[in-house]
Amino acid sequence: MKRLGDVVASVLFVLLFGTAVLFLVIPLAVSVVMSFDAREYIGPFPPPSLSLHWYEALWENTAYLDGLWVSLQIGLLATGVSVVAGGMAAVFLDRFRFPGRDALETLFLSPKFVPTVVVGFSILALCATLGVRDGWWRLLFGHIIITLPFTLRATLAALVGIRRSLVEAAMILGASEFRAYLDVVMPLARTGILSGALFAFVLSFDEVAVSLFLSDPFTTTLPVALVAEMRANLNLTIAAVSALFVGLTAVAILVLDRLVGLDRVIGYGIYRS
Amino acid sequence: MRPTPAAWLLLVPGGLLLGGLMVAPLGLLALESLREFVGGRVGGQADRPLTLANYAELLNPAYALYFWETFRIGALVSLLALIFAFPIAYVAARTPRRGLRKGILGLLIAMLFLSVVARLYAILMAYGPTGPLKGIAQLFGTSASSAAFAEVQVMVGLLHFVLPIVALTLIGTVQNINPRLEEAAMALGAPRWRAVTGVVLPLAVPGLLSAFLIAFAMCISNFVVPLILGRGVVLFVSNLMYIRFSEIANFPSGAAIGIIMLVLSFGIVFGLTAVIRRLWPAAGGVR
Repeated sequence: MKRLGDVVASVLFVLLFGTAVLFLVIPLAVSVVMSFDAREYIGPFPPPSLSLHWYEALWENTAYLDGLWVSLQIGLLATGVSVVAGGMAAVFLDRFRFPGRDALETLFLSPKFVPTVVVGFSILALCATLGVRDGWWRLLFGHIIITLPFTLRATLAALVGIRRSLVEAAMILGASEFRAYLDVVMPLARTGILSGALFAFVLSFDEVAVSLFLSDPFTTTLPVALVAEMRANLNLTIAAVSALFVGLTAVAILVLDRLVGLDRVIGYGIYRS
Repeated sequence: MRPTPAAWLLLVPGGLLLGGLMVAPLGLLALESLREFVGGRVGGQADRPLTLANYAELLNPAYALYFWETFRIGALVSLLALIFAFPIAYVAARTPRRGLRKGILGLLIAMLFLSVVARLYAILMAYGPTGPLKGIAQLFGTSASSAAFAEVQVMVGLLHFVLPIVALTLIGTVQNINPRLEEAAMALGAPRWRAVTGVVLPLAVPGLLSAFLIAFAMCISNFVVPLILGRGVVLFVSNLMYIRFSEIANFPSGAAIGIIMLVLSFGIVFGLTAVIRRLWPAAGGVR
């Protein structure tokens, strides 16, 4: 009886596990295969013959390339600002204890829980009030506020693990507290801060709702350009872009694993180390 | 240690950004939501007295229905996400095989990194009328291009979006349950499935609940999934807000919807997690 229960349970378990993994992977595999379709229209899967012509069409689509350029600029700048501002606030929150500290941390993390359409709409209201009509600046404002909680949280998590006695040792040896932070704490927190910056950049690069509100006809991000194309006419250049994204993501994961280790990003918890 | 006066300077850049790009804009949004809207004119009327009419309008059943649809689909998807994510999280947390663990973590983090637009397009390709999974529509007694299937596609899209996040959250939950407890149960004669359902699951309840709430909050504020997969048939509250804003330029009504969404999101995340923390003090809160 015990045996049978275990067999049934493990079959069910493996079934659920397998379904979940296939559910995540199959659509991506389909889209990557379809991007090599030689047909000029979207026909049934699988494609009868393969070609690279959708990728060639990609290069001729200036909307994508312009969008990519804006996305990269906004993503890098917003991440940079958020890493510095979030990092400074994180140092403060990690270093000092005072009444209301936890409330302050919650306040700094709260942009994470503002629905993205609300972020977009409210930043637009702000820019209308201030007279900012340039899409580029509006996008930058919106992307800074969505990335800020992520860089702050990552830096805070990295700082918590660093012993206070290291700073004290540096100070006994004559360093100012600022120097001690710069030369001792920052190198130790570097991987944590960098992985936070990576997450922030990806978040910004991927954002649709905020950007849809804040773009203007001359300044659009890549995801907004893709959504516009998707709604206007279904063609497989988007599959080609998706396939490139899949490839890039795979590379990013390998790099992340090499640099930080996927295990360290997630951690082992308190019962294994 | 208490902060020194000079140390407060560390908060200046972050505080300015938070005040200027979150608090002030939300204040402006709240103000706009109280303005009167005159049809045919863009935005609210600044010279007229403030009114609650934009909120009252949303009590109309036609609008309340959008909220109901959003919550219903969001709750269903979050529940499905827990069911499918738990086995993944359990395997990742407990397997002795490092390769398997790494593979799962790699897949889940890759999903987080991968563009949502690319994932939604992939779902459109796979479940659409030309896709290999279009047969699933027949299981629901309809065709892949039907309006009824749009709702299934929206659910598939949302599940694809929240499943990796829920799984990563639950890995933390399972890892922080002492494996000795399962071993003890099995040593005392419980089969493995009893050890998991009788020991691990009850201890994971606070983690499961907060994962559910995170997924639910993400689903009901989602915008892109219904925009692309809903084909105009399935509209979430966020889409309603965007339509009010972009198509009929009724900014006050859009702002009122936005404020309600904000209150709901903060209410779920902060209010309900405070309840969880009170019931299970060891569980911690939203990270």
